[in-house]
Amino acid sequence: MLDILPQWMKDGIGDDLLFWLGYFTNGKHLTWYASVQYTLAAALFGALTALVMGLAGAALRNARFGPARLVGALYINMVRGVPDVLFFLFFPLAFEQLVELIRAQAVCTPEGLAANAGQWPPCDAANWFLGTPEYLALACVSLGIVYGAFAASVISGAMNAVPRGQLEAARAFGFSRAQVLWRFHIRQMWIYALPGLSNVWMLIIKATSLLSLLQIADIVLWADRLGAPNFTRSAGLVHPDWRWGYYLVLLVFYILVTFLSEKVFAAVTRWAGRGMSVANPA
Amino acid sequence: MTDLFAPLLNDLAILARPALFNIYFAFASIPIGFVLAIFMALGKASRNALVSSLCRGYIYAFRGSPFFIQLFMFYSLALAFNLSLWKPLGIDGIVLNPLVLGPAILALNTTAYSAEIFYGALMTVPRGEVEAARAFGMTRSQQFRSVVWPHLIRLAWPAYTNEVVFLFHATALVYFTLPVIDDQKDLMNMAGELFEKDYNAVLHFSAAALYFLAISLAIFLVFGLVYRHLTRHMPGAVPLRFRMNRS
Amino acid sequence: MKTLIIAAAALAMLATGAQAQTVRIATEGAYAPWNFLDDSGKPAGFEIDLGNELCARAALDCTFQTNEWDSIIPNLIAGNYDAIMAGMSITDERKQSIDFSDNYFPPDPSKYIVRAGTTLDFGALSGKSVGVQGATIQAAYAEATFGATNTIKAFGTADQALADLNAGNVDVILADGSYLSEIVAGSSGSLELTGPDVMIGGGVGVGLRKADDDLEGKLNAAIGEMKKDGSLDALIIKWFPDKAPGPIFAGG
Repeated sequence: MLDILPQWMKDGIGDDLLFWLGYFTNGKHLTWYASVQYTLAAALFGALTALVMGLAGAALRNARFGPARLVGALYINMVRGVPDVLFFLFFPLAFEQLVELIRAQAVCTPEGLAANAGQWPPCDAANWFLGTPEYLALACVSLGIVYGAFAASVISGAMNAVPRGQLEAARAFGFSRAQVLWRFHIRQMWIYALPGLSNVWMLIIKATSLLSLLQIADIVLWADRLGAPNFTRSAGLVHPDWRWGYYLVLLVFYILVTFLSEKVFAAVTRWAGRGMSVANPA
Repeated sequence: MTDLFAPLLNDLAILARPALFNIYFAFASIPIGFVLAIFMALGKASRNALVSSLCRGYIYAFRGSPFFIQLFMFYSLALAFNLSLWKPLGIDGIVLNPLVLGPAILALNTTAYSAEIFYGALMTVPRGEVEAARAFGMTRSQQFRSVVWPHLIRLAWPAYTNEVVFLFHATALVYFTLPVIDDQKDLMNMAGELFEKDYNAVLHFSAAALYFLAISLAIFLVFGLVYRHLTRHMPGAVPLRFRMNRS
Repeated sequence: MKTLIIAAAALAMLATGAQAQTVRIATEGAYAPWNFLDDSGKPAGFEIDLGNELCARAALDCTFQTNEWDSIIPNLIAGNYDAIMAGMSITDERKQSIDFSDNYFPPDPSKYIVRAGTTLDFGALSGKSVGVQGATIQAAYAEATFGATNTIKAFGTADQALADLNAGNVDVILADGSYLSEIVAGSSGSLELTGPDVMIGGGVGVGLRKADDDLEGKLNAAIGEMKKDGSLDALIIKWFPDKAPGPIFAGG
């Protein structure tokens, strides 16, 4: 990596510093830096899914049909009883098994079933292979479902916070029910929902630290591997336990992401609140 | 019917002892976190700029980073000081014991979240009442005990209840990072172990989820009773409701 | 006749299709020199060299991926990869859930490692903290032998156990001798082996799904070939210099 530097620059840097520069830019470390893509992808797509789930959950919660309201309330309250990590581990496993169970009905032969008796999947042909992309997608959906429940409670509250008079005025102007919902109710809802949704986003960011539990080689897994002591010369630089240093870097990374997110949300809130009569939507 | 429920009951029986570890982690960390959080909230509101910014920084750092990474970092940090500090002091067996270190890190974490809740409540304590107390010639500690504290705890209690429930959920992460000693397995360890034997994800994880659900509801019930007691003199007090606050 | 030709052609296509299928091999990547992640971040080590050679001989297209040790067997059974090469000892307990190929590493004694200068009485060990990697043969042995009067600490990876040993949080670690001897050599005198050798495990083999007899046959043929022509011995000695000069498998 550092071979591209001209000789005079190498001389200027000095051997010690050059060695560490080289060490922290070796393939292992570059892979660590690159693995941040999984964290960011999970956060972004998890948040998008959560937003969709949140809108759906809020629609159910505020529906006029009783059983729908019950489903919405159950969904919103689910996350309060069960830890996110439990669901995060359970959902991909259960979903994989469900897919394999459905596939087994179609593709399994009696011989295949007999060969795998008492094991999972029911037969080899029904197996669904999960690699990093599949796990990442499932992780996003898990995050979306768990934090969608938080988003649903935020959005449902924000829908109720929109002044009735605004909607009644729109109705009086002759807008249809659907038009009132899309053009007035949901559009005004955002300003009330933004502070809560910003909180949900912060929760999702922090939950991305769990990706390594799904065998995704994310920043946490690499920090553990890079920091773990190595005494075997053939496996690279021999060094003692450096893990806490690597974790400190991760801690600072997450705090920085939180800080940046706050700034972005503050700007978005100012933008969304322009022309609105809400002084302090929080 | 029995065929359906027998495996679940069997799982619930197996998971009873592991559940005690999660309960222990929560019980050991909540009182410490509660007391520290009060001081941290007062510190954040302090007029001393140094104290205020230190408390502010602590709260921001712990709320802005994942608990999972805090666990990893504090374990390896505690380990790094073992030979130079804990061993000479003769407390290495205590400091690095997961049953001590786990609650300690949980307490550090919940201190930050609770402090933010208490700070928010502190800011909404009616100014007029505090000024009236001062006019009566009360000292600062008398003001705190008879005016600020009753307001603060009542205002903060609903949000604090949720923090305690989420702290209990966070205990699920402790043994993903700290070494397991002998057979001191918690709910997640045991559910995972059961799953690896027969691949029945739905059964074993549901059983573990039931424990979390039941204990969460129990926490909510007990804290609701306390809230009723705190608001007993207020005729129209709103009952305690589940709300999200862990953010 | 025509249908026969078509059927034969289809069969041939299926057969080549099956041959071109990739064999995914899982390794832990945290057990040098058996398997680790090299400076470029890719799996490397004895088992990666061996796996590539076996696959070349068996005309298989192989890729390596890493998986945490404690879920490495469940994920094999769940079909997330086709084989395990992760220094996994062949045991009767594991044979109940998966199959093993013939061993590619002979039964190897497990050894005790301590900080230099520690003396332990293994006949009457008590009040000590014994570190192991969870779900290993050593974990089961330590629990059965020392569990009653000592504390057994189970870690996710062997490296984590080693970090705790180095920091004085465990008194002794029981692990594969082949893994520990390289560590002692690289620790510049801070760690040393002690106590008796413990003979557990029946050698190391490739872990396979029970139904995968075809793959097992191909790998066994390649392993047998490498044992006979001495190339397996050469590879073992390359990565485990203290096994020199052999012979290990050759000529046996």
